[in-house]
Amino acid sequence: MAHTFRFLDDIAMADLAFEAGGESLQDVFQGATDALIHAMADPQTVGTAWQQVIEREEEDPASLLFDWLSDLVYWKDAAGVVFHRSEVRLAQRKDGSWSLHGAVYGEQVKVAKQELRADIKGVTKHLYRLAREGDGWTVRVVLDV
Amino acid sequence: MKLNTHMQVTRISGEVWEIAPSEKAGMLVPARIYAVPEILESMDAGVFEQVTNVACLPGIRRYALCMPDGHWGYGFPIGGVAAFDVRSGVISPGGVGYDVNCGMRLIRTDLTHEEVRPHLGQLMTELFRRVPAGVGASGFVKLDRAALEQVMTGGARWCIEQGFGWHRDLECLEEQGCLVGADPSKVSDRAVSRGINQLGTLGSGNHYLEVQVVSQDRVFDRDRAAAWGIHGRDQVVVMVHCGSRGFGHQVASDYLKVFEKAMRRYGISVKDQQLACAPFQSAEGQDYFAAMNCAANTAFANRQVITHQIRESFAAVFGKPAEALGMEVVYDVAHNIAKVERYPEGELVVHRKGATRALGPGCADLPLRYRATGQPVICGGSMETGSYLLAGTEGAMRDTFASTMHGAGRMMSRTQAKRMIRGEQLQQQMQQQSIVVKAVSMSGLAEEAGFAYKNISDVVASVDRAGITKVVAELRPIGNIKG
Repeated sequence: MAHTFRFLDDIAMADLAFEAGGESLQDVFQGATDALIHAMADPQTVGTAWQQVIEREEEDPASLLFDWLSDLVYWKDAAGVVFHRSEVRLAQRKDGSWSLHGAVYGEQVKVAKQELRADIKGVTKHLYRLAREGDGWTVRVVLDV
Repeated sequence: MKLNTHMQVTRISGEVWEIAPSEKAGMLVPARIYAVPEILESMDAGVFEQVTNVACLPGIRRYALCMPDGHWGYGFPIGGVAAFDVRSGVISPGGVGYDVNCGMRLIRTDLTHEEVRPHLGQLMTELFRRVPAGVGASGFVKLDRAALEQVMTGGARWCIEQGFGWHRDLECLEEQGCLVGADPSKVSDRAVSRGINQLGTLGSGNHYLEVQVVSQDRVFDRDRAAAWGIHGRDQVVVMVHCGSRGFGHQVASDYLKVFEKAMRRYGISVKDQQLACAPFQSAEGQDYFAAMNCAANTAFANRQVITHQIRESFAAVFGKPAEALGMEVVYDVAHNIAKVERYPEGELVVHRKGATRALGPGCADLPLRYRATGQPVICGGSMETGSYLLAGTEGAMRDTFASTMHGAGRMMSRTQAKRMIRGEQLQQQMQQQSIVVKAVSMSGLAEEAGFAYKNISDVVASVDRAGITKVVAELRPIGNIKG
C-alpha cells in the first residue's frame, strides 16, 4: 500500500485544499482519509478508544469517496471526536457500483492532551476531482473550514 | 493596472468595476466588483471566475456582485451577493455557505479600557471557560430533539424565554433573531445529531470572540455612534463572530446533494458543482429554504447564548450585574444567508455569502431607534488589526440589494500562513501588542495571523467611497478567543 497527501497553498484560500495520491483506488481513498484526519488534529496525539464502522455504496468511486469523507466530518461533531487512523476496503460489484467498508478509530476531544487543528465544516465539490494519473490515482479536495 | 484575470474589467465609477456578459459564455447579467484600485489588483483569480459563474445562474437580476473583501470561495466567491426572481430564479446553498447565518454581534459596555485592563487576563480566562471553542466543543445548554426544534423555529426568542438574554435584545437583531418559514421536518437526523450539543459554542476557523476598545479619535461619525450607544471614550465593547455550527454545516451538505440530482431534473447546468441550485419555487428549493431558516435561527440562538455567557463573565469579573455595566446589544447581523426581500423588481431571493445586509436610514425593517441612522453593519477585521462599525445607506439599497462587505477578506491561504508563523509565536507577538489571546488550536491561531488578511482600512474605504455604507467607528482588539 502506498499513499500520500499534501495540503495545497494556492487554492480556496479561506478553506483548506489537499491533494492525495495512491497506487490503487483504495490507496487514494486512504491518502485522502489521512489528509482529513490530519486536518482536524495531529493523529499522534489522539487515542483509539472510540471506533465506528461505516458501510457505503455508490455508483462511482468519486461519489463514494466524497460520502465517506463527509461521514468522518459528521462523526466528528455527532460523537465529539477526532481521529487517530482509519481502515478502508473497497470493492466493485457485479453491476459496476462500488461499496466501501470503513472503520475509523479516535477518541473524544481532549483539549489538554490533543493537538487540535481545524473544525472542518464540510467536504465541498469545488474543484473536486478523482482521476487516474500515470500509474496511480489522485484526488483533489477542498474542505470548508 | 494588472488584474488576476484575462477578462476585461471596466471602471463604471470610482470604486465600481464591471465585467460585461460578453466576457463569459452563459452570463445573463454583468458582474460588478466594489473595490478601490489597490484592493481590485490584490483580488485573486478565483473572485473573477466565481462572480462571473454566479452571473450565469437562472433568474439572476441586475448584477452578480462582489464586495471589496471578496476572495476565492467555492461556488460563490466570499463577498458575493446575488438576487434571483422568486418566480423564475433559483436558490443555491453555494450562495449561502456551509455556515448558515454565520454573522457578527456587537455588545457595548459602560466600561473603559482603564477599568478593564487590570482585569483583562482574568476576564479572558473567564470568557474562554464559559464560551467553548474549537473542534468537538459542546455547549452548556442541554437540548433534546424537541427543544432543538423549538430553537429552529424560535431562534433568539427561544433563548430569551429560557432566560438567556433580555427582551430588548431582540429588536437589535436582524429579523429580531428569528426568520419565519423554518420547518424542522425538512432537517435531517444527521443535522440534528451534529448540532444538538453545540448551542453556545464558537467553532474554529475565523470565528472569534473579541474584547475591543473604541477611542474617540477613531469615532468618525459621532451622532450615529452615540445613537448606537458608542461614546468612544476608550469604551470597551465585545464582538462575536460565529454561526450555526455543525447543524448548519450538515443542512448545507444534505441539500447540496439533493440539488445535484434536482438540477438534472430541472435541466439546470452550472459552471461549478458548488453552485448546485434548484428553482426557488420547486419542492427542493422550498425544502432547502425551510431547512436553511432552521439553521439560521439556531445561529441567532447560538450568538444569543454566547451573549448571555459574555454578560455572566463580565458580571463575575467586575462584581456587578451586566445591566449595571451597560451591556446592551448594539446589533447582530448575518453574512451567510438567503432571504426574500422586496426591491423595485419585486420579491427577490437575495443571497449574501460573506456579505452583510446594510439597510439605509428610514427603512421600516429597522428598530425605531435606528431608523434615523441606518442599520449598524459590523465588519470583523483580522485579530491583530481591528474591526469596523459602519452604517447602511440608501446607496446600498439602490445599488447592491442593501448589501456591503463583512470583514477584511483573506489574501493568503491557511496553509501558507502556517508556514510563515507558528501559533505560539503569534500569541507572543500579540501579547507584546497588549492583546491577550486564548486559543484552543495553535495551528488554527497561526492561520488567522493579520498578514493573511487584506488591509481592512482599504476595504472599508472602498465601501465608504462607493457610498454603500459609511464608516462610523474603528474597534481595536485587546483580547481575543479563538477556536
